[in-house]
Amino acid sequence: MVVRYLLATLVAGLFVGVVMTPVQYAGVIPLILHAEVYEQGGDAGPPEHAAGLVAPAEAAERAAPQGVRPIPVHATAAAPANDEARANANLFASRLIGTLSANIVTGCGFALMLAAVALLAGRRITFANGAFWGLAGFACVALAPALGLPPELPAMPVADLTARQIWWVATALLTAAGLYGLVLRQETVAKIAGIALLFAPHLVAVPRPADLSSPIPPTLAAEFAVASLATGAVFWVLLGLALGALMDRFGSELT
Amino acid sequence: MTITMTHSGVMPATTRIAGGLLALALGAFFIWGAGFAHAAALHDTAHDVRHAFGFPCH
Repeated sequence: MVVRYLLATLVAGLFVGVVMTPVQYAGVIPLILHAEVYEQGGDAGPPEHAAGLVAPAEAAERAAPQGVRPIPVHATAAAPANDEARANANLFASRLIGTLSANIVTGCGFALMLAAVALLAGRRITFANGAFWGLAGFACVALAPALGLPPELPAMPVADLTARQIWWVATALLTAAGLYGLVLRQETVAKIAGIALLFAPHLVAVPRPADLSSPIPPTLAAEFAVASLATGAVFWVLLGLALGALMDRFGSELT
Repeated sequence: MTITMTHSGVMPATTRIAGGLLALALGAFFIWGAGFAHAAALHDTAHDVRHAFGFPCH
């Protein structure tokens, strides 16, 4: 039974991971490619090109004005070891395939964790409430971490990676615990503790870079932060609905 | 409240908890690999996804 539950979860993650790849190519990836031109010290062209409504092919072409293939190699103040360009270690020959596979792994990972929370809490994700489960996931791993660490583009100034990762994970866990207390528990004490947990990570100092100067234009960064959160919201609502639909389909046999 | 209270009647509690913990661990491992591992191969492969999801990167 539990095996079928987990298999249904993986199917939902796989489906959403595949669907999100073209969504990302329409929304956020052109902005990442655009930022990589600044990262490599290039001129990204007239300001109107900062618009997000750019065809992926056009963006890729623009990202390589001198025939330079855009590769994810970073030269940030926080990571001096990366100052010298190193070979791109992508596991796949194509950047698109790498992104697709990473999306599938991410989709399956978040699907498993969301389904695990429902299983441990003794609740069922349905198509009717799936969007709410998804939005709860969005709040935990996109919205709350973005309040302290807005989605960043390549070449933006950043603090130490490990410190940011610790703050990000802690914020996601505390937000999840807070939402559990606030939404899924009936006791007043649990609801108050839940609200406190939602605020707690934002009272802790977020790791910030000492120097904020950036080669990335602020408008591009702002556009990317919004596009990233919007894409994340689409991902999570789709994931919640897909999980709910599969649980409805196999529900009588599952829980 | 749209979240319905459905206690699992069919699945034994021990199976439910064990399955939940397994799914949680496996999901966390996937997310660690796609979003957090420092290895160059994983970073470069998942680069665009890391930025798109707002994972801390480089």
